[in-house]
Amino acid sequence: MADAAVHSQHEDTRGFFTRWFMSTNHKDIGILYIFTAALVGFVAVAFTVYMRLELMEPGIQHMYLAYAADADSLRASFERLFADLAAASGTGAVHAQEALMALRDTLAASSANADGQIVIDGGLRDAVISAVEKAAGSAPSTVEASLIYGLGDTLDGDPNGHLWNVLITGHGILMMFFVVIPALFGGFGNYFMPLMIGAPDMAFPRMNNLSYWLYVCGSALAVASLLAPGGNGQTGSGVGWVLYAPLSTSEQGMSMDLAIFAVHVSGASSILGAINMITTFLNMRAPGMTLFKVPLFAWSIFVTGFLILFSLPVLAGAITMLLTDRNFGTAFFDPAGGGDPVLYQHLLWFFGHPEVYIIIVPGFGIISHVIATFSRKPVFGYLPMVWAMIAIGALGFVVWAHHMYTVQLSTTQQSYFMLATMVIAVPTGIKIFSWIATMWGGSIEFKTPMLWAFGFLFLFTFGGVTGIVLSQAAIDRALHDTYYVVAHFHYVMSLGAVFCIFAAIYYWIGKMSGRQYPEFLGKVHFWMMFVGSNITFFPQHFLGYQGKPRRYIDYPEQFALWNYVSSLGAFLSFASFLLFFYIIAYTLLRGAKVREPAYWGGHADTLEWTLPNPPPEHTFETLPTREMWDKAPEHWTAVKGPEESKISPAE
Amino acid sequence: MRDPSHPGAESSAPGERGDPHFEVSLWPHRSLTETGLRWLIIGSCAAYAIPILAFFGTTAMLVLAALAAFHVWLLWFFIRRNTRALSLSETLRLWPDLITVERRDPRGRVRHWQANPYWVRLTLHKNARPENYLTLKGGGREIELGAFLSPDERVTLKEEIEREIRLLRPG
Repeated sequence: MADAAVHSQHEDTRGFFTRWFMSTNHKDIGILYIFTAALVGFVAVAFTVYMRLELMEPGIQHMYLAYAADADSLRASFERLFADLAAASGTGAVHAQEALMALRDTLAASSANADGQIVIDGGLRDAVISAVEKAAGSAPSTVEASLIYGLGDTLDGDPNGHLWNVLITGHGILMMFFVVIPALFGGFGNYFMPLMIGAPDMAFPRMNNLSYWLYVCGSALAVASLLAPGGNGQTGSGVGWVLYAPLSTSEQGMSMDLAIFAVHVSGASSILGAINMITTFLNMRAPGMTLFKVPLFAWSIFVTGFLILFSLPVLAGAITMLLTDRNFGTAFFDPAGGGDPVLYQHLLWFFGHPEVYIIIVPGFGIISHVIATFSRKPVFGYLPMVWAMIAIGALGFVVWAHHMYTVQLSTTQQSYFMLATMVIAVPTGIKIFSWIATMWGGSIEFKTPMLWAFGFLFLFTFGGVTGIVLSQAAIDRALHDTYYVVAHFHYVMSLGAVFCIFAAIYYWIGKMSGRQYPEFLGKVHFWMMFVGSNITFFPQHFLGYQGKPRRYIDYPEQFALWNYVSSLGAFLSFASFLLFFYIIAYTLLRGAKVREPAYWGGHADTLEWTLPNPPPEHTFETLPTREMWDKAPEHWTAVKGPEESKISPAE
Repeated sequence: MRDPSHPGAESSAPGERGDPHFEVSLWPHRSLTETGLRWLIIGSCAAYAIPILAFFGTTAMLVLAALAAFHVWLLWFFIRRNTRALSLSETLRLWPDLITVERRDPRGRVRHWQANPYWVRLTLHKNARPENYLTLKGGGREIELGAFLSPDERVTLKEEIEREIRLLRPG
């Protein structure tokens, strides 16, 4: 028998360490997820800035392996050039001899390292390039010019393709596994899904803590993989985030194994998180809240949970086989031992396609709430919205081979995957049009979260349309592995999922922190990011149509213009990201306190808006009653009739 | 749940008294039904069948089948665990000269409390946490009742029990 124990008002007495390191509270874990994802996101974004710097102009500006030689062999190279130039001119005269001799003396007089080698990098390399350009540009014949360029080509070192590959791999792995899923599913899902269904916490609070720390471990392993000895005698592995065999089975060093472990650990974290979310959603909904009365964001987390649960084990299987191929002499994928690399691609994309919906579906939930709130209307077509999410999730499992039309699938297979892929446009269209219909006739208010939602709507649709273009097997034959693909998936993910994250942050930061963000700066952030990311990715469609392939460090100068523009956009986006960090710091330290629980007005009507800002440590210890969450009578009495509102809360 | 037809028997031991005058069972809210769990597991098996069928005949199929079986079990295990953790119940029985409460904990422990209804006092702590905390005092002990219910449900419960106790009193 439980003896009576009346509690007085409970104060939060946890210390810093207990609260943040041993946390079992879903709200604290959600915040931890969001902050960690922001940190990892900063690393992944920093990679892109470095890459866009390199791609800004044709040629290699930053990522080179510097040429090194001792002073004598440097002099010898120049002597050979002078002899060749004298022979080429026909008169014995050496073109631009003084300038080249000056360059030679500058190089030879430079300080050598401990091995007696002069390393040509930084300013020295710039001096070489400008002198060579000048001398070759004024050369009387192309033969002489090419002789001078030949020496310049030696002295300016080699492109460091491995570093480039490591950066694109790191950017992909971090963004796919360690930034977007943790922020949307782990962060906002953890914080708001239990609140929206009126649950006091997650079903398994300690497993929730385990999920978070596994995610941290995974991130640490991913970063360790970048720094550990890898292929080409350098650090890190450059096989692409898809870890395609046989590249991944033959990449040297332990870096690749660390990357596999990182994905494994993050997968375990996501699966445990998904089971936790599913159990919470199914078993702990408030009394009377039947499945089709659950708010759309909670539904989106539920659908995402299943996508994770059904797809990640396939990835886990595939990379485990990869690991045994690398370390235990099996040959599942390595053709040298009779394996099938295309089998790996099938497995990877069986996970990989649901993965992109894992990333975007929670965003769908967030956008539904934001648009309804700032249009002052309930969301249009709740039931079709839910079924569209379920349909998108289910269809996501049967379209994987549209990522691999070029691996010699039969025409029949290609036709199936093409049609199945196009069918996804139907539920997606239902969602897009329902959002538009929600705004239709509404009283729209352009607060920052609504701007992000608008940006999402426009740009996600745009990315979806290029997706339909790419879904056609015949067109994909030309566009496969070009920048068109890069532009497409960045439109749906960088401009889709990331805009959802920002919408969610501005929508809920007052709820989570008790302080409101500065509205003007929030809008500045939006416009910088909106313009910047469009300038970054829109020109990449042109590059793709021109045939520029993905995943290369350099390109012919015909592609120079749009790469230059794209880089400018990337820098603007990065500036907006820095502004975002400032806004968050300002909000948390100086932001205006918000006391009104439902500070966005009556159409933000889910259960989290009944709680104070920030919510106390323990919420809904006594379950919420029906009138707290079922606002249907208020919104829909005219449609559904009064009998709906007569249901008593104690039922 | 309630059976007001019997006024109670004369036997002294609770088990042999016959049907109580009033009986109420309380349990925490659980939104997933047994049928729901069955459909969940069936649906999960169907979902995992997609990759297994797609990779039929490859070595990968065996790996996938093993992983699928493990994850279906994992899902089932955790949902059952959560359901068990929520499966406590309290049963209050009332006879003219005896009131008992039997509480079954998630791990199967059963605890009893009993008193004479004439001396029992029900208290609703309006401003407590949880709100409308309901306690039952008698037999030298004060116990909580329906702490897992919603505040409004506890108000209803208190009124109902008090009415039934009043009905038993002569005059």
